[in-house]
Amino acid sequence: MPRILSIWLPQLPLDRRVRQGDTRLSGTFAITAEERNAWRVTHANGAALKAGVKPGQALADARAICPDLLTEPSDPVREELLLRALWRWADALSPRVSLDPPDGLLLDIGGCAHLFGGELEMGRETLTRLSDLQVQARIGIADTKGGAQALARFGAETVNIAAAGTLRQALADLPIAALALPEKLVSELARAGLSTVAQLQGQASAELARRFGLQLTRTLDHALGRAPDPVTPKAADPVYAARMTLPEPIGFVEDLEQVLQRLADQVCARLEADQCGARQFRLTVRCVDTGDHPLAIGFARPCSDPAALLRQFAHPLSQLEIEYGADWFRLCAEHVEPIRLKQTSFGDEAKRADDRLVLIETLGNRIGFDHVRVFRAKDSHVPEHEFEQVEAVQAEPHWPAAPRVRPIRLFTPPEYVEVETPGRPPKAFKWRRMAFLSETAQGPERITPRWFRDEDLRTRDYWKVQTREGRRLWLLNYPGEATEDWYVAGEFA
Amino acid sequence: MGQAERQQTEKSRAETLATKAQPAALKTLLPPGALLRRPQVLELGGGVRLRKGRVHEVSGASADLFAMRAAAAHGQPVLWLGLYRDIVTLNPAGLQAWLEVEDLILVEAVSRGELLWAADQALRASGGVCTILDLPDTLSLKESRRLQLAAEQGGGIGLVLLRGPASTSAAQTRWDCQPCCSTPPSWDWVCLKGKNGEAGRWRMRCEEGQEGGRGKAQNAKNTLHLAAAASA
Repeated sequence: MPRILSIWLPQLPLDRRVRQGDTRLSGTFAITAEERNAWRVTHANGAALKAGVKPGQALADARAICPDLLTEPSDPVREELLLRALWRWADALSPRVSLDPPDGLLLDIGGCAHLFGGELEMGRETLTRLSDLQVQARIGIADTKGGAQALARFGAETVNIAAAGTLRQALADLPIAALALPEKLVSELARAGLSTVAQLQGQASAELARRFGLQLTRTLDHALGRAPDPVTPKAADPVYAARMTLPEPIGFVEDLEQVLQRLADQVCARLEADQCGARQFRLTVRCVDTGDHPLAIGFARPCSDPAALLRQFAHPLSQLEIEYGADWFRLCAEHVEPIRLKQTSFGDEAKRADDRLVLIETLGNRIGFDHVRVFRAKDSHVPEHEFEQVEAVQAEPHWPAAPRVRPIRLFTPPEYVEVETPGRPPKAFKWRRMAFLSETAQGPERITPRWFRDEDLRTRDYWKVQTREGRRLWLLNYPGEATEDWYVAGEFA
Repeated sequence: MGQAERQQTEKSRAETLATKAQPAALKTLLPPGALLRRPQVLELGGGVRLRKGRVHEVSGASADLFAMRAAAAHGQPVLWLGLYRDIVTLNPAGLQAWLEVEDLILVEAVSRGELLWAADQALRASGGVCTILDLPDTLSLKESRRLQLAAEQGGGIGLVLLRGPASTSAAQTRWDCQPCCSTPPSWDWVCLKGKNGEAGRWRMRCEEGQEGGRGKAQNAKNTLHLAAAASA
């Protein structure tokens, strides 16, 4: 059974200001946010609470109750950054830490607690360390994530522990709001007369599911450990990026290339150290007057070569219009993949494959990777569906030989011919304003449509016709049609 | 030993001597690996030769076939550039009889300018690329000269499929290719222009039982044979 420690940081926005040394915190102070069409108090400090300000109150009411209340709007981005900093800090307690936004952390402390001398000691130690950081916290320790969260938020002590196997009893007295259910569901349950977790536990779960939805029973199962709900720690992905700020704006292409060279050296060195390469690089150039200009290039394989980067960026950089100069640059590697080292060469096979990829990159970066394509086989008997074109970057070239002899050019849709002397196939006809006489003909090759697909459902007859003029055409006719129309479907070599 | 034979051996001995004597001098003159490069001439069969590092123009109804023969002789990579409407008609199930479909990279440009830029880049690329440029009209002298310079730099081969009438250009050779009414199929290749005086008329035909032959086409791509050659 895993043991989960939940840290709740009830006053995180206020703690952030305390840590900044904000002097206003000594008086009545509150954090506000716009909720339900009004500015409301979300967090209030001790003095403000004493004066009668309550979280959830409208700001106007709070000002009426406490005229000298100082407020500040909340800053979710910076609060999240602080939470993330604490998330990294919590590595000192347990190797498996996950975020519990907006104001909590979850630690899997299975096998860690004895290092601190027990769970209670560990909880106290955590609180001490957090108070050194000027962050207030409450802690719950239980067998499940839901249980630990509920105990941290609704427990009586600052460190609440439900010993292994006693979670059911520990949760029994807590109100239903402890289960982290949507507010609407909590009020619906209250209307049904259910206010504590114990009352919920007494009900048959099928009844609950039928009346209140599966979300309720699922949450209950997770909280009571009937369904697994593990802590999924997320390692911080390394970011391969570098930026440069200049004291004076620059505008010459040579200068820009110098900057890019330095950024590329940094980013590529880090990629190389991790034996990785990126398939896409993004360069942001911030001009002093026109703002950010994002430039992007792609590669046909993971790349960590600054020279290749410079080569591919040369064109987008030369296209950039800079009037008053740019003074901020950021290069970021995206789609990072490991590089698999290959033997470079015994023959020139590897080198030629390399040249091919470089060529695809060069063309793709200018005219778009979706315009550089290769053929790929498809399993079908219909001539125009025997193959498809796919982007050359993504596909390894592979072509299993098609079983039938087909023309080298295929016209879809087929091109109409004017029949001069009828026949099967026509003895004389006009195609693309050229007159043709049939010399010999092979056929018909009858192809039935794919009835299971939503497409042209006519049966087709194909004739290979050698014309007296020399060209070998693939004539098409739909048998059984009222009008005997003929088409050119393709041309042989 | 006959007179002719003796002359032959003497000649060959002189040649071997020459090659033995040369390496020291060659090493200083040529970049490393220059001697190991692939031959600078593509053999299309029947004595039709195309110089590499040059641009050649092809027109006529079976220009595709000429280009495919050159591509097959060159080997990978083969770049087929054209406007979308031309590239979309290519059928790999038909091409497979004439070249390795795996070698082929298609470039669908949206404008003539883009097409020429892509062709220039491809010809300039290192390693030598066989570049087939499916042009909706013709090349002007300036454009063809630029492509010619690019081809000289890259060492590949450029084939320009002309749809319109040919005009003055810097191409090495110009060919007119027409299919003939015959069984087995045959083609007339006429060299209309050659900078180094390569001119001639070829009647090419498929080797017996080879055309689009199943299985056999897998390894031995269709070989064309010379039936008649007469200087034009």
